[in-house]
Amino acid sequence: MVRNKRASKALKGTYLALVLAFLYIPIVVMIALSFNKSVSRAEWTGFTFDWYAKLFQSKQIMAALRVTLEVAVVATAVSTVIGTLGAIGMHAMNTGMANVLVNLSYLPMTTPDIVTGVSLMLMFVFAKVPLSKWTMIMAHIAFDTPYVLFSVMPKLRQMNPNLYEAALDLGCSPMKALGKVIVPEISPGIVTGALLAFTMSLDDFVISYFTSNTDQNLAMIVYSAARRGVEPTMYALSTLMFVAIMALLLLVNRRSGLENM
Amino acid sequence: MKRSWYASPYALWMVLFTVVPLLFVCYYAFTDAAGAFTTANFTKIAQPMYLLVLWDSLRLAVYCTALCLLIGYPTAYFLASRDFSRAQSLVVLILVPMWMNFLLRTYAMMTLLEDNGVLNTLLRSIGLPGFKLIGTEGAVLLGMVYNYLPFMVLPIYTVLKKMDYSVIEAAEDLGCSPIRVVSRVVLPMSIPGVVSGITMVFMPAVTTFSISRLMSSGMVYLVGDMIEDYFISMNNRNVGSSISLVMLVLIILSIGFLRKVDPDNQGGGLW
Amino acid sequence: MIQDMRLIELKGVCKNFGDTQVLHDVDLYIRKCEFITLLGPSGCGKTTLLRIIGGFEMPSSGEVLFEGKDMTGIPPYKRRINTVFQKYALFNHLNVYDNIAFGLNLKTPEQLGVQTKKEKKEEIARRVNRMLKLVKMEGYEKRSTNALSGGQQQRIAIARALVNEPEVLLLDEPLGALDLKLRKEMQLELKAMQQQLGITFIYVTHDQEEALTMSDTIAVMNGGRIQQIGDPKGIYDEPKNAFVADFIGESNIVDGVMLQDDLVKFRDTEFQCVDEGFDTNEPVDVVIRPEDIMIVGEDVGMLSGTVESVIFKGVHYEMMIRDEIGGEGQGMLWKVHSTTMQPVGTRVGMTIVPYNIHIMHKAKTADAEPVSETGDKEA
Repeated sequence: MVRNKRASKALKGTYLALVLAFLYIPIVVMIALSFNKSVSRAEWTGFTFDWYAKLFQSKQIMAALRVTLEVAVVATAVSTVIGTLGAIGMHAMNTGMANVLVNLSYLPMTTPDIVTGVSLMLMFVFAKVPLSKWTMIMAHIAFDTPYVLFSVMPKLRQMNPNLYEAALDLGCSPMKALGKVIVPEISPGIVTGALLAFTMSLDDFVISYFTSNTDQNLAMIVYSAARRGVEPTMYALSTLMFVAIMALLLLVNRRSGLENM
Repeated sequence: MKRSWYASPYALWMVLFTVVPLLFVCYYAFTDAAGAFTTANFTKIAQPMYLLVLWDSLRLAVYCTALCLLIGYPTAYFLASRDFSRAQSLVVLILVPMWMNFLLRTYAMMTLLEDNGVLNTLLRSIGLPGFKLIGTEGAVLLGMVYNYLPFMVLPIYTVLKKMDYSVIEAAEDLGCSPIRVVSRVVLPMSIPGVVSGITMVFMPAVTTFSISRLMSSGMVYLVGDMIEDYFISMNNRNVGSSISLVMLVLIILSIGFLRKVDPDNQGGGLW
Repeated sequence: MIQDMRLIELKGVCKNFGDTQVLHDVDLYIRKCEFITLLGPSGCGKTTLLRIIGGFEMPSSGEVLFEGKDMTGIPPYKRRINTVFQKYALFNHLNVYDNIAFGLNLKTPEQLGVQTKKEKKEEIARRVNRMLKLVKMEGYEKRSTNALSGGQQQRIAIARALVNEPEVLLLDEPLGALDLKLRKEMQLELKAMQQQLGITFIYVTHDQEEALTMSDTIAVMNGGRIQQIGDPKGIYDEPKNAFVADFIGESNIVDGVMLQDDLVKFRDTEFQCVDEGFDTNEPVDVVIRPEDIMIVGEDVGMLSGTVESVIFKGVHYEMMIRDEIGGEGQGMLWKVHSTTMQPVGTRVGMTIVPYNIHIMHKAKTADAEPVSETGDKEA
């Protein structure tokens, strides 16, 4: 019986190791290649930071980095405010109205990214709004906000409903009660939501691709480079983006634990 | 001011930037370049050439979903079993790639599989013939499975983890063999997770455009690629919209179907 | 001391939530320095009534007067009333001190009777410390509220409300989450605090014992109506209807017929009683407390029965005795409390003295008509 258990454990372990290998080998290889002297993927000719240096010398990539960060920061800021207020408002609503809004929030999450992208593009083109980082920001707010909303809502539901009333009872006006009691109480949810939104924004390719023309973000650069064929600068860029996203996720994770991811 | 009003900017934004754009898709799908009503866009995409692309997309998405389920279910099950003391960190490891930009992941996979890539070089160096993967359907499938596997593991793992372990012990106690425990108890109880896993894999898989383009250097052409071409290179938004609309309806129908299997949405997906 | 001034007065207050009416035409007045308890089972409307007084709900119709002035539309933060909530509702992002100081911080220096901001800070510290002393929580100022036990959280919640020097303190089942021993202690402390501070307490509970221990006045509620208002002794000894009798303490409730003044018939037996003014042959509810039934020799009682079960309840035995009316084993079960135990199977006699028999009009509908009016208040 014991031997049986040990064997089954070993089997399970091997299986999981294989799955992990499948998931990580490409990433590890890519990170390794970003430090490879040779342009060829086939041989290792020595360690170098050249590709990283090149990366930071590229005007195009630096511009894309700026666009990516600008879009992510603005979109996160706006969607955090709108999403938090939205959650507070929905929490105070009767269930019928709130259900309508919750379903509305699921819409961008269930619509395929490509359809969301082209639909926004159609609207901007129709309204003769030039496709730039500003349209990209508007699109990002639209898909970021539900993440904020769904991070804040559970915190509101967990909150003792009497807290708001207690604040009123002790002399707060409704506005003051919101700022002094509700927002501090749900702040963990707000921060998690903001971090998620920021990650989503940094990470997005499909929707950005369709909603911006003149300004490119990093993911768009990766795409156009990949279509031309593989080049080591992109490995360096990918490695950096990978590290950035990981760092952000660790932050989110530490806050909310895996179950809330 | 009533507090429910705080939701109004949110509602406004969501309507303006998700509902209204979708209405534009409908509008463009049913009009021609001059803006007159027409159903020609749909008759156009009903031609065999287009249907074949649609068929390929569905086929590949189904293969991809099936493969993810096949690989992902045991992964989730083993992770949720109590055999590993550090299971939590293993789970994080498996889920981490999910948050990595899929272009980066695809790019990494390309590097590995290219004709002159790492894998082929390795094979040749030990005297084996290299093989051509990039440009084949297999490569696209591999790229998709690689990208979407974590999306299958997460919801199944969540459901299995929530499952009361004593249920399994009870089944064993009642005389179930380990295989029967899985087939009679674990599997039925994990259906919600499977359903949401399927949704989360099938949906992006059927609409992907960049993965196929990159992994097949354009040899495998899917619906997503077609939509991209109509909007970006051909600038024919009307036909592009009609394809998008068909896609959307298809997705909504399949989600509706899956919701029926799992009416409570217990899998919960990401949330 | 309770003063005869009507501090709060409710007139014809009704409250609907959608289609359900949770309060029916409630009239009630509350005097200065009174400790009044709204007592009733869950869903009887007591909490809603409290929330209307606190300003958290608007009555659907009717008036709420505060010192004779209508305050129906006035929001909670403008009322001189503070509340202790059921689950304390402490602010977890603030420590104990800041929780208590919360309401004072919102006031201007002038409102606190000082001039400068510095003086305000000192004044607040003084008041908070006084409160901490009152609720016996000195030394906990810097603690996080999460680190407190249920009883300690309750004390902080009380301090946080009282520090604002309200004229009325509302308490919504404040002791519900505490264990029995702590609850008993807090009951006495709350009562002492109320007497020391001389402010009005409006207390909501479903625990009749709690109500009887602490209150000057009890309003028993059921089905959105006030069933009876009176002092604890009056309510216990002279319940106005079967619901009140049953809810306040344990009771045997029997169908009976009033034969004439001071004579009632139930269980096929005529009993002397002290109730008058009923119609001849009027069907009534007869209420008899378990401790009011005396066990006598098996053939000398007014009723005879057999002991079916005995439970020791600490100070007395609770026996279920089945009488012999209607044939063997068909009789009704009487709950009897006695300090002497009769073994199961013993045949005993039961005797009830006239003033322990309480006669009540039959309730006309299921959700009992209000029998008592506000004018019935004694004491």
